[in-house]
Amino acid sequence: MIGALGSTIAHAFRRTALPLGAYYGITLIVPLANGAPQSGSIFLEHALVVLIVPPVAIGCACIVHTIARAALERS
Amino acid sequence: MKTKLLTVLVAAFIAWGLKRHYSDARADDLRWILTPTAHLVGVVTGATFTLLPGEGYFSREQLFLIEKSCAGVNFMIAAFGMLVFALFHRVHSAGAALKVLGVSLAAGYSGALIVNTVRIAAAIWLAAHPAALPAFSAEDVHRVEGILVYFGGLVLLYELTQRLDRRLVPTSPAS
Repeated sequence: MIGALGSTIAHAFRRTALPLGAYYGITLIVPLANGAPQSGSIFLEHALVVLIVPPVAIGCACIVHTIARAALERS
Repeated sequence: MKTKLLTVLVAAFIAWGLKRHYSDARADDLRWILTPTAHLVGVVTGATFTLLPGEGYFSREQLFLIEKSCAGVNFMIAAFGMLVFALFHRVHSAGAALKVLGVSLAAGYSGALIVNTVRIAAAIWLAAHPAALPAFSAEDVHRVEGILVYFGGLVLLYELTQRLDRRLVPTSPAS
């Protein structure tokens, strides 16, 4: 199951690479280019959340998908 | 090669122009996106939004203001750039380039309206039900909700475009 989960996660990251890149581009790269880090820790805190939440969401979706698929295969 | 390079330049110019317009705009300048968003949110939530000149659209019963930062222009720019990139393999002529740019812009705008409506409707629901996630502050919940809805919206838009791209239209006029 762990192997299946790893494969699902790798596939999901490949599949969502472009949306993830577009999202990071508009929420992190554009503000960075416009000098947002000069606003201090507020931007850094926001950037950290923006950076972490999408991969965590992908991981959670993969765990749910793998568990659901395993349960379906057993039944 | 020249057409592809020109397409990249035009796409970059459109994205830059949208960002520039959004940065300089007041709420009244963003009615082209705020007005349909307010109508859609009204349909979904049942709330009535009225225009407050210079502020945006306000719902008295929900105490919620759809203002400039709720416009979803950043989502539209991200969606536009993503779709141009996803459909770039179709750029074989000036006509095809115009189609790719036009479809990406229209899909980015429509996607922004739908995703933004979901985001605002969810924000209104979460504001009305603060006990739903008591471990987090309202600000944290609003931030994470925004990230999940916007990122999820981009993924769904990309998947939908990929499926339509594979099924509906041939890759080039010759094929």
